[in-house]
Amino acid sequence: MAASISGYTFSSVCYHSANSNSDHEGFLLGEVRQEETISISDTQISSAELLQVVEVHNHEPCAQLFSFYNYAGLVNEENLNKILKERRKNVIGWYRFRRNTQQQMSFREQIIHKQLTQLLGVPDLVFLLFSFISTANNSTHALEYVLFRPSRRYNQRVTLSIPNLGNTSQQEYKVSSVPNTSLNYAKVIKEHGAEFFDKDGVMKDIRTIFQVYSALQDKVQAVCGEVEQSERVKEKVQQEVNKLKQQIALRKQKNAEEERRILEAQNPEPLPTPEENTEPPETSLLSLVAFNTPSTPERPGPSANPPAYADLLSLQDNSLLPSSSSPTSAALLPRPQAVGSPGHPSPNPMGLGLGLSVGSSPAPSPSTPYLGNGDGSSSDSLDRQAAGQEDEDEDEDEDSSEYENLVSEVAQLPPVTINVLAQGRPASLSPDGDASARGSQT
Amino acid sequence: MNNMSPEVALNRISPELRPLLCSVVRNGRVGLDSTNCLRITDLKTGCTSLTPGPCCDRFKLHIPYAGETLKWDIIFNAQDPELPPDFIFGEDAEFLPEPSELPHLVQWDAEDPECLLQLVKELIQQYHQYQCHRLRESSRLLFEYDSLLEDPDYGRSLEIYAGHKNSWTGEFSARFLLKLPVDFSNIPVYLLKDTALDPGEDVALLFVSFEDAEATQVFPKLYLSPSIEHALGGSSALHIPAFPSGGCLIDYVPQVCQLLTNKVQYVIQGYHKRREYIAAFLSHFGMGVVEYDAEGFTKLTLLLMWKDFCVLVHVDLPLYFPRDQPTLTFQSVYHFTSSGQLYSQVQKSYPYSPRWDGNEMAKRANLRCDNPSPSEVTTPRDSDVTGTCWR
Repeated sequence: MAASISGYTFSSVCYHSANSNSDHEGFLLGEVRQEETISISDTQISSAELLQVVEVHNHEPCAQLFSFYNYAGLVNEENLNKILKERRKNVIGWYRFRRNTQQQMSFREQIIHKQLTQLLGVPDLVFLLFSFISTANNSTHALEYVLFRPSRRYNQRVTLSIPNLGNTSQQEYKVSSVPNTSLNYAKVIKEHGAEFFDKDGVMKDIRTIFQVYSALQDKVQAVCGEVEQSERVKEKVQQEVNKLKQQIALRKQKNAEEERRILEAQNPEPLPTPEENTEPPETSLLSLVAFNTPSTPERPGPSANPPAYADLLSLQDNSLLPSSSSPTSAALLPRPQAVGSPGHPSPNPMGLGLGLSVGSSPAPSPSTPYLGNGDGSSSDSLDRQAAGQEDEDEDEDEDSSEYENLVSEVAQLPPVTINVLAQGRPASLSPDGDASARGSQT
Repeated sequence: MNNMSPEVALNRISPELRPLLCSVVRNGRVGLDSTNCLRITDLKTGCTSLTPGPCCDRFKLHIPYAGETLKWDIIFNAQDPELPPDFIFGEDAEFLPEPSELPHLVQWDAEDPECLLQLVKELIQQYHQYQCHRLRESSRLLFEYDSLLEDPDYGRSLEIYAGHKNSWTGEFSARFLLKLPVDFSNIPVYLLKDTALDPGEDVALLFVSFEDAEATQVFPKLYLSPSIEHALGGSSALHIPAFPSGGCLIDYVPQVCQLLTNKVQYVIQGYHKRREYIAAFLSHFGMGVVEYDAEGFTKLTLLLMWKDFCVLVHVDLPLYFPRDQPTLTFQSVYHFTSSGQLYSQVQKSYPYSPRWDGNEMAKRANLRCDNPSPSEVTTPRDSDVTGTCWR
């Protein structure tokens, strides 16, 4: 059994007691509840512990001694009811205060306790004994209190805890579970409560805060949705880009083959070493292309493409087919040469070359031979040529030169494609035009 | 504080409660052991420390019982002196008397100075019953108690103290205090010079201590009131037999009683014999009597003359006269010893028989003034004489 008493009730009892010039007694009001603690540990199956907790909420002091019992200790129920009135059902114990005596139940207290237990119908009625011990020179006074449980053997003593009385240096102020049963408190709260509480009894501030929280949550959800959408669109665009690059590579390959056939047709002798030198590149290009095409690492895109976009893709493919004539135009482009071959200008990246063929937009061909593909990888021509396919996912945004070429090529594409891209374009911008979101998009 | 005299204690008690305490402290004797008075200690107050004194209203009362001393807390309220007190029964936390058996509590009358004392006596009776009830822990000891209870001589004057059962060793002890029904009324009155030590009632108490529940370790002791003890010749004069192993109180106690009775009778007889002896000597040597013990009849001094030679004769009668022969001491009135004392000589070899009556003894003592036998009157040797007193 455990017992607790609120600080103000305890101090009130002490005040009443200490101010009386003789022994003092009264009743303790409160409630008794059962607490079950279930503990689970590795060594044993869960064990349940039942604890009876006595909570003292209030007290009812008696005006004088022998107010509800006679000299023989016989309790008078009528007088008892006069003292307790309607609070009789809340009685969980009684207390007595006597100065300079032992902490032991006296003869009369035991007799009265037995009768109270029966009359009040509380089998575990508790008895709180206060004793006030003063030293001989009245310099030190000690208030001692013991809570007895006389129904048990040897008048079991129960520990009485007073929340927040003690060493609170390492603990925070505890809110007591003992409710405030003061009528005045309830009245004031009722009067002024409407300013703070709404009709459901919930504090208004809490509701307002909750509303703010909900709004923020909604916004976050919306942003999440938009982020998801833009990401998907971006992935699709990326796939598109990849496909276009593939097509460009194929076209170049075809152009190269065409040119070779034309040259062969013109010059049946086998070409000298330079050609042999180029063969490996061609074969290697082919092998690389062959190697690259199936294993081109693509950005992981969404598994399900919206039908609209898939249709658009097919449209785009269809639209790209007519532009297969571009290889023919590409055939007019200077033949890609190996990087570093003397006398030949360093071949520009494919896109750049393509851009030149169109001639619509000034391709930003660098004055210096472009040796790299912009991301610091190997400047080998083979690698570079393959880089158009390989480095798709490495320099999607960083290699501006390729994209710039794509931009010029975009101008070539039918308007449908442009529309598609234009629709996709807004994804790169923030949905609300928020600059900060733009950065987060990438 | 603990050895406070009763008067000091009374002065500290609240004035309204003082009459009640007076009767307890001054006249309070409860139980068989009436030689020990009730004592109060540890006076405290239930009033605030600002209350001017004297205002003590709670104290510890020491009550002798069955060879032990009970220490009960008695709690009054000085602000409500008309209310009856409350009690805390010390270590006997389980002792809970029935209030209906305490008439002086139910009808407490604060105006009656004896009320508290009577209430304490009633509580002691209840306590005795409580202790007897506790004897049920041991069937052997319960048998002892029941057998004594049946005997009217002992059953009414019995105090039992049943010790707490030692849960560790299982040992259970008990104390029996019995008042022996021996008649001491004919014992000569013993007058003490110190009136503060009022011997009270003449009583013999047999204290038997059972150290185990099977009565294998039994230690009896006899307690006598001071006058009886003195009358019987001191504490060493009376030895009671040891408790027989396997014996029981109902057989042992009568033995002790008989022994004591015999002793008392002997002492009484001795007293009478002594008186008779002195009377006989007085009648024979009436003119020569200097002085004699008129109360205990233990001493007689005669002044005898033989041929103008005066001599003092001191007759000392022992306690167990006539079994023991009286001692005659002849003392010179003229001569001193080297230590400055009057020369004297003890004479024990004279005709004597315990069966003679006083007259016969007086006659046979042959202390006739006119016919002293040479053996009775001898002159001191010169070597023994340091000074003379001329007549």
